[in-house]
Amino acid sequence: MLNALAAIGRFGRFSGAIATRVVRRPLFGRQVVEQTWTTTTRCLLPVVAVTFPFGMVMALQGLEIFRLFGAERMLASLISIATLREISPVLASVLVAAQGGSSCAASLGAMRIKEELDATEVMAIDAIKYHVAPRVIAMTLACPLLNIAGSVSGVAGGYSTAVFIKGESGGIFMAELWSFMQPVDLYGGLLKTTVFGLLIGLISCYHGYRASGGAAGVGKAVNDTVVHSVVAFITMNYFLTSALFGAVAP
Amino acid sequence: MIEFKNVSKAFGSNVVLRDISLKIPPGQTTAIVGPSGTGKSVALKHIVGLLRPDEGQVMCFGTDMATATEAELFAVRRRFGMLFQDGALFDSFSVGENVSFPLEHHAPEMSADERRARVDEKLRLVGLPGIYDRPTSGLSGGQRKRVGLARAIVMEPEVILFDEPNSGLDPITSDAIDALIQEMKEALGITFIIISHDIVGTVNVADHIAMLYDGNLVAFEPTDRFVRLDNEIVRKFLRRNLILPEGPDDVARLPELK
Amino acid sequence: MTAVLAGLGRYGLWCVDFVRAVWVHGPPKGQTLHEAFRIGIKSLPILLIISAFVGTNLALQGYNAFKPLGGQRLVGMFVALAGVRELAPIIAAAMIAAKAGTEMASQIGVMRIREQVDALEVMAVNPLAFLVAPRLIGIVLMLPALTLIAIFVMLSAAYGVSVLQLGLAGHEFIQFATESIQPIDFFYGALKAMFFGLIICTVSCYFGFHCGKGPEGVGVATNRAVVTSSVICIVLNYFVSELLYGGAL
Repeated sequence: MLNALAAIGRFGRFSGAIATRVVRRPLFGRQVVEQTWTTTTRCLLPVVAVTFPFGMVMALQGLEIFRLFGAERMLASLISIATLREISPVLASVLVAAQGGSSCAASLGAMRIKEELDATEVMAIDAIKYHVAPRVIAMTLACPLLNIAGSVSGVAGGYSTAVFIKGESGGIFMAELWSFMQPVDLYGGLLKTTVFGLLIGLISCYHGYRASGGAAGVGKAVNDTVVHSVVAFITMNYFLTSALFGAVAP
Repeated sequence: MIEFKNVSKAFGSNVVLRDISLKIPPGQTTAIVGPSGTGKSVALKHIVGLLRPDEGQVMCFGTDMATATEAELFAVRRRFGMLFQDGALFDSFSVGENVSFPLEHHAPEMSADERRARVDEKLRLVGLPGIYDRPTSGLSGGQRKRVGLARAIVMEPEVILFDEPNSGLDPITSDAIDALIQEMKEALGITFIIISHDIVGTVNVADHIAMLYDGNLVAFEPTDRFVRLDNEIVRKFLRRNLILPEGPDDVARLPELK
Repeated sequence: MTAVLAGLGRYGLWCVDFVRAVWVHGPPKGQTLHEAFRIGIKSLPILLIISAFVGTNLALQGYNAFKPLGGQRLVGMFVALAGVRELAPIIAAAMIAAKAGTEMASQIGVMRIREQVDALEVMAVNPLAFLVAPRLIGIVLMLPALTLIAIFVMLSAAYGVSVLQLGLAGHEFIQFATESIQPIDFFYGALKAMFFGLIICTVSCYFGFHCGKGPEGVGVATNRAVVTSSVICIVLNYFVSELLYGGAL
């Protein structure tokens, strides 16, 4: 237990160090753009590959239930709202953690093991600013972008199942899609994923930066990154959902 | 009993072994030497069937390793012991558990006490008595090699393979490993095949030396003929690998050259 | 795209090798239960946390979804159905992928680059039977238990949120929840989870065995293991759900 608290303390200091360096010159903008591009493109296919079937499953299970009540029309809005509010942010973040976070932890970890981070410092370049901060920013930016892709993909999956496989009307689906939507549905997901992306970035860089113990240490860094990131943002998700989609007792 | 017949092997466009034919003399120590990257380790891996040739045959105890089934491979491998470059010990096991691993899998008829006795005996032979319960992670490079060797001999094989036994060691430990190999040779009297780039140690311990260069077998002679060979590549290699003498005592230690 | 198919092909062939190895050699005795226990215990804390917070969000969003229709009391039904049929198996599987999968890929990867896998082969021990089989059996044994725990924690957390935060009636929640699930749903959930476990274990070990050189190789293998296994599981989830639930309630 004490260990966990000490670790959180170290993590906090590390994050603080990143925060202070991000705003100082030189700004290494090119690194940020490169990292963001790499992360987004690498995660795009997995995110789509995961949200699409999930949309399909929602349509599948949803129709089973709704058909009992003759409420098939409701399917479209259920899928769109569920996808935008919860499914897409969570799935996109899980994959950013699994793909982006773990490759960030792996590459920083390998650099640490091979002493490349030390070499950067010796050349009087701030390793955190050059290697770490761009990755953190990249993930903070990539996650919401991927969320957009995931949302579109999830709804598309729902549409595909409902219309092509289960024979619902495409026109009605598209019309009903927006019927219960509110602005908070649109920006809520983006806000969530920005926060999640930041968490994933910080955690993955923290573990990668502090890797030790050879190749096994890199594996452990990746392992810890994925686990801690997912726990962190799932927990955060609860609080953000409560705040955004505010459920207050009537 | 171990023979390469016209073996060729390439990785993509990189030809590593070109039409190699070589018969390893049984009961003696043969070294395969050559500059880095000439395919020495590749040749060694062919002997145990970790790699299969593109052309040719690798005969071991009458089985062609190139076309052997898994069962045949395993039957042949039980007669080998191999020392890998970094020992290749299992980190989650203790020293004793590492050395007794082959016994547990291939000699189930032995009782736990018998196994323990055999392991202790082999650990003594390699100069590490009494470290049965030591965890593997704390061992030095030299100790890992010794434990690896103990594991290689625990099944009392007919052939032992050494993949660069001196790699990664400081000169003093390297000498100690050379001495250990010499002791083992005298104690066991079985076939040794040593891959090495360390010419001094090799010349002292090997009965025969084969030299690979650019995928070709350029020489295969008994040691005393090898060091006198009038072959340009061999000469160059011998000279480049000598530790330059630093004083009169060192000169006396050099192998004789023409 | 062709690269993906080629990769799947190689993975398929590896699985065939694996099945053959286990058929011929069998797993090492005594290690299997130990592995199962170890994996289960280590995964438990994360499973609890994740299931809990998924349950809370299910309740919150379900409430919001049904409220405009006046059906907010149906939250119990919504949570139970979504949770048991889809989310619990996926959560259990995702968590296994994250913890056990990455661990397997990196452990086997490290052994691969330090020639320990070669050493096993030279000592005439089949690495697939020795390294992979105990882990696979361990995971498949543990997953039904983990899935059930996930279901229980998810429903409890949803109950907590419904009653304490949303002000719903507890007994109604429980009533609707229990009415909508049948015993077969638990069985299907466990089945799904075991199937996912199979995929995660084989995919992770596959990447471990085909690890590239050095610490980067281990990192890449671990990375690919968790992403590939998660994606495959979720894609297959649709087909499995269609098989189990589609067209029949």
